[in-house]
Parts: sequence; C-alpha cells; structure tokens
Amino acid sequence: MGKITKKSLSAFLAAVMAAGTLAGCGSSNGTSSSASSSNNSETTAAGGASKVDTSQHVDLTMYLIGERTPDFDEVYGKINEILEKKLNCSLSVEFLSWGEHDAKYSLLFSSQADFDLIFTASSWCHYEQTVALGGFYPLSEEFIQTYAPDIWKVVPQMAWDQAKIDGQIYMVPNYANEFGQDVMAVRGDLMKKYGFDDITSWDQLVAFYKACAADGIYASQGGPWFQYFQSKGLSITGGAPKGGELILYNTQNPDDMEFTYVPEWDGFRDYCIQMKELVDAGCWSRDVLNSTDERQVGLLTGKTAAMIWNLGSCATYAKQANKEHPEWNVTIVDPNKSMPKKVNSYINNGVAINANSKNKERAMMVLNEFYTNPEVYDLAMLGIEGKHWEAVGDDQYKVIDESGYGVSSNCNWGWNNMTIQRKEYIENRTALDDRIDELRDSFNANIKKDHVYDGFNFDSTKVSTQFAAVEAALGNYFDPLKNGLVDDVDKSIAEMKAALESAGIQDVLTELKRQAEQYAAEKQAK
Amino acid sequence: MKENGFRGFFKKLYKYRVFLLMLAPAVIYTLIFSYYPMTGIVTAFKKYNYAGGIWGSPWNGLENFKFFFKSGQAALVIRNTVLYNLLFIAVNTVTQIAVAVFLTELSNKYYRKITQSLMFLPYFISWVIVGVMAFNIFSSDYGFINRIITYFGGEKISFYTTPQVWPLILLFFSVWKGIGYGSVMYLAALMGIDTSIYDSAKIDGANVFQRIFYVTIPMIMPTTIILLLLAVGGIFKGNFDMFYNLVGNNGLLYNYTDVIDTLTFRALISSNNFGMSAAIGLFQSVLCFITVLIVNKLVGMYDKDYTLF
Repeated sequence: MGKITKKSLSAFLAAVMAAGTLAGCGSSNGTSSSASSSNNSETTAAGGASKVDTSQHVDLTMYLIGERTPDFDEVYGKINEILEKKLNCSLSVEFLSWGEHDAKYSLLFSSQADFDLIFTASSWCHYEQTVALGGFYPLSEEFIQTYAPDIWKVVPQMAWDQAKIDGQIYMVPNYANEFGQDVMAVRGDLMKKYGFDDITSWDQLVAFYKACAADGIYASQGGPWFQYFQSKGLSITGGAPKGGELILYNTQNPDDMEFTYVPEWDGFRDYCIQMKELVDAGCWSRDVLNSTDERQVGLLTGKTAAMIWNLGSCATYAKQANKEHPEWNVTIVDPNKSMPKKVNSYINNGVAINANSKNKERAMMVLNEFYTNPEVYDLAMLGIEGKHWEAVGDDQYKVIDESGYGVSSNCNWGWNNMTIQRKEYIENRTALDDRIDELRDSFNANIKKDHVYDGFNFDSTKVSTQFAAVEAALGNYFDPLKNGLVDDVDKSIAEMKAALESAGIQDVLTELKRQAEQYAAEKQAK
Repeated sequence: MKENGFRGFFKKLYKYRVFLLMLAPAVIYTLIFSYYPMTGIVTAFKKYNYAGGIWGSPWNGLENFKFFFKSGQAALVIRNTVLYNLLFIAVNTVTQIAVAVFLTELSNKYYRKITQSLMFLPYFISWVIVGVMAFNIFSSDYGFINRIITYFGGEKISFYTTPQVWPLILLFFSVWKGIGYGSVMYLAALMGIDTSIYDSAKIDGANVFQRIFYVTIPMIMPTTIILLLLAVGGIFKGNFDMFYNLVGNNGLLYNYTDVIDTLTFRALISSNNFGMSAAIGLFQSVLCFITVLIVNKLVGMYDKDYTLF
C-alpha cells in the first residue's frame, strides 16, 4: 500500500513538473492582420494626401529603452497636452530596461503586442534583425512626406539611404553628428607622474599602459582593440559577425574597397602579441572576461587609470570623477588624434513603426512633433522648463535639477535633431570643459571623407546557418585573444581560423562581398 | 463479456459518467497547458518571421538544425552536458541522502531544525547572485581566496584563466544550492519508515551504521530510483542559469564548461532566430525522451515496481 501511494505521488509530481515546463512555452496566434492593415494605410496615404484626417481620437503606445525616471510621467503629461490639442491623440510610453531589451524586444513582435512606435538602432538595438523578421512597417517616401513633412525637410538623403535595407526604409533615423571614434578619459595626476603631456598615438598609449602597470595600477578594463584598428584606419562592418568586429574595411580611404577578415590579418596577430605582453605586465585584470563592471566603473572607483568610450560618455564620467576626487584631475585624450573622424551613421538611433500598428499615420505624425516641434523636443530632452532647466537665450539651456529627469537620458535619442537642439550653458568653466570643447571642435573640423561602405549593412538571412555557427565558434577564441589572455597567440589564431572555416565563414564572406558590391554599384549609379 | 464498437463505448461512457466528469478538469488542463503548446514544435522546421507567426511562416526542412553541427562544437558540448549532468546526479543523490540520514539520526531537535533551514537557504538564492558571489570568491584581484593566499605570502591562482578547476567549482555550487531542497524528498521517505523495524534491529544488536545500511537505505530505494529517473530525463539539458552566470562570456573556460544551452544562446542571441532555438530545444527533448525510455526499461529489468510507466 505504502509503495502504491508513493508511486502515484511521484507520477503526479512528474505530471506537474512536465506541465510546468511546457506551460512556459506559451502560445501566440500568428494572424495575418499585418498584411491587411498595411494595405489600408497605403490607400489612405494615396487618397488623403492633401489634408490628413485627425477627427477621430486615438491612443498610441511607444516603447523606449531604459528606465522610467521619477518625473517622466509628469513631463510626458505635458507632451500629451500638446499632442491632444494638435493631433487629437494621446501617447503612453512603455520601457524595456537595459538588462531585458535583448530578450524582450523580439517577444513584443512575436506576441503581436499592440503598440505603434518603438525605439531602434542599427546593430545595437535590433534594427536589422527585426527588419529581417518582418517586424517593422516599411516607410515609403510618400508616406513620410505626407505624415511627417517636417522630418522630410530636416533629415538628409544620406541618412535615409543608410536606413534602407533592400531598398526600403524601415526607421526614421536621428539627425545628429555623433562621433564613432572612442576617446579616453585619463587621470591627469598619473599622466603628470609618468611624464605624459598628452596621449595622441598608439605608441604613446602603449607606453602609458606600461607605465601604469609598472606603478601597480591597472590602465583599463581590457585591451584597446577599437583604438588599435581605428589607428590603422579601419572600421567595423555593419551586420558582420561579432557586432561587425570580425570583418573590417578601410574607412579612411574611399578607394579601398577590400574587406579585412580579421583572423587572417597580420595586424591582428601583432595586436594579440602586444596585448599578451601588456596583460603579462599587469595592464589590466586577468578576470576581465568575467567582470560585469560597466565601462566607467574602473575609473570612478580608482581601480583603473583610464576609461575608453565615446566623447559624450567620457565627458560625463570625467566630470563625475573630478567632482568626487578633484585631485585626480581627469582629462580626456584622443589616442588617434591624426585620424580624420568618422561620423556615426544616422541609424545609430532611430524610431520605427510596428507593422501591426493600427494607427501608423497618426504615429508618424506624433513622431513629426517629437522631431521638429521645439516645444515637444525640449520637453522630451530636457524636461519641464522652470523645474528641470531654464532657457539661456534661444539655443542654450542651464540645468536646474537633473535628479528627476536628466538631460537627454530618457531615450529621446531616436529623434535627436541638431537643428533645434539646445546646447548647455556652463557658468564656471573648468579645464576639462575647455578640453571637451576643444576636442569636439577638432572633431568637427576634421571629418573624414565618405566611404561607400559607411552606410552598408550586411543582411545575414541568406547565410543564417553559417552565421550562427560562426558566432558559436568565435566565442572560444576571439575575446580571449583580444584581451591577451591566451598562452600561445599563433596556436590560438590558427585554431580560430580552422574553427571558423568549418563553420562556413567562407560562405559568409562571399555573401558579404556580393552584397557590398551590389550596394556600391547602386550607390555609384545614383 | 466483451462489447465492441460505438455502442459499447457509449455505454461505458454513460456508465462511468461521474468518474469521467471528475477527471475532465485535469484532462482539459493537461491538454491546454501541456499538449497544445507542443504544437509549437513546428517552429523548429520553419523559417520564422513575425508576419507569418508560428503557422504562417514558410517551411524550412531540417535547415534549422544545421548550424549546431556546423559550429564544430556539437560533440564537445553534448559531451560536457551529459558528463556534468551525470556528475551532478551522482554526487547530489549521494550527498542528499547522506544529509537526510544524518538529520534523522540527530537527536537534538533545535539543532536539526536550524541545520536544515540553513542548508535550505541557498535554494532561494538566484544564480545571478551566486555568479556575483563566485566572482568575489575567485577573482584574482579582490577575490576572497586569493586575498588569503597573498596574505600568507603565496602565489595567486588565476581561477578565471584555469579551465581545469571549473568542473569542481561548478559541482560545488550545484551541491551547495541543491542539498537542502533535495534532501527534503529523502527526509519525507525516511519519515515513512516504520520505527518498529529500527526497534527490532536494535534488539538484534545492529549498531548505527548497520541500521543505516541494512534498514534505511533499502527502504528509501524506491524514492531514490524515481528521483533518479526524473533527473535522467533532463540529462541532455544543461542548467543554463548556472553555467551562464558562473562562466559568463569567458571563452577560455569553454572547453570545460560549455554546454548545449550556452552554445545555443551565444550563437543565436544576436540574430533572434526562433526557428534555430526551437530546433535545438527539440533535439534535446528527443534525446532526453529516448534516454528515459531506455533507463526505464533497464530499471524494469531489475524490478518492475520501480519503473515510471
């Protein structure tokens, strides 16, 4: 008897466990509503081109990336007052946090969630992947001109071209000159101690790293891989494996149409050998691959002498470090000073419309307000005037209180528009403020020539099997090599090459070259 | 008396209507939450896109399975997954039984309750937190162990660049986290043993160890075997939470720590390929299913009463 009850109990347990695991699979009803609704919008776009009908009130939803700040709802309440009056609609905003957007972004589309606008970005925020799976509504030029005429006037043709995938636009790109070039925020007191006035080249950077190690402080949180290939004039290729790092092209020379496949590049071997030397000297921790510290943590806590990021982020954290430790005298250097600067492609931030949205036209009109109406723009970027900021003249602002909202930190980047963006007015300027302006001016004065591939984005759907296999095979070698953590550089590179070959990297390379040639040919035809 | 055909069926249906009605909620529940979602398996054979969803996307044959074998890591990760699971199952079972027996033999009630609660605690700590704790123990700069080593003038051990030590570390955390929860099952079985058997064993002159090995262990054998069978059912599934949070993106350790689930995650996280991830899930489930069938059969050969079905 005892045995029987135990058996039935265990069978029950097994059933419950099985039910539990399977219930997690969930279900989604794949309907074909997207096709029919997109047809509708096309007819309205063609029919009502002269005057857009907003007599019916609609509620829209927009997804942004990040966390909701304390005063966010108050600010967007003000924005809604304007939208209500002007476009007869209201907008509610949902957030996907930094930690979860990788997993949840695609679920929004696969579960057919009801929303209209969503933040997106090339490579770092799911643009290409979502387009490949048919998640975004394609924006025809006529659609943009009809429902967002002001955006059409502001955004340059180049930006639209960058947003094109297979000849179709799927996002409204932001319009601001962001520099892709990373710089370095460095402890000024240590530079002085080791006898450095400035760090302007790769050799000086390496010398500084060694000086740090000799002094017993880590220089950075990992190997300066981007600095290295940028110093050779190279750039990542959009959409290529490993976030584009596996295949590089010579962005500084518009005539050079070759791609550099990193494992076969002699420069990569040189780099890895140098990195091994640096790590053995103690330039960064051997635990870097397992550290979950964000990029600024080392500098702010005094564990490292420098941090590497783009100019804006370096400026923010350099200021913070100086506020907390004035004696550090943190400054910013550009280890690739001689190189002309690459402007990030405009699709590095943007907003797209959900293919399943029921109000695509109104969504586009709302975006038009965010992008080009100075009142809405200031609210979204700076918060409420008089509470968070005050105006200085027509084109500057002064911060009153950043704690509740924060300047430009509410995922308002999708509609960055440098033609109406206010600049910060700084009262008591420090040496660091001057340095930041100096760098920014020198960047703007030294923008590099356009390379055809700057706007190119590889679409991996045709070789998705090989692409996934390559990503899987890379994991064992690439990051350890980049950070100098392998025992035998040549052996590790050879193993990586062999693993990538069998994973089918040649198919990926062939397809990439084919797409790039086609892209270049189309561009030159124009 | 035997009745065939529809008439017989309906007759029986009518005869047992009350029982069937009582059974209905459970059957419907299982159908909706266990069988209906299984139709999603078709995703493994589809080139998934958002517009088509699970049913409308075009068929893709066996294309979705290919990347896994093409990556060159398939043999390695399957081996790692199975070996780790065998190791975890063996060590966890032994330690959990040992703890359960030890706890029942303890005479001080308060001491027993406190020990049990303390051992149960790790079960509630998420693997993310365990990952952070591990980093603070094993890190070469600020790690607890290396601090102690350098304090006594020793040479630092760089755990995160030494793959060989990771099977032990992973085993340790697996045991530490599962011991409290796992031993509760065995404790329950131990409570069900008739105390008169112990009394007669004592009268016959059996000491503590003899009582454990000749009475306790044989008596909890059925529970042990059923728990083992359930565990074997997951032998091709790596514990993703555990491996990902302890090892993270450290490629240097992959030869010793990469399991099917972490490899799949790494290969597909940037491309959001639903079809390929479904394919690997299906592949693992089929292998697990076959394993359960085989092991169940083997157990049946030993003693029919111990089998799951």
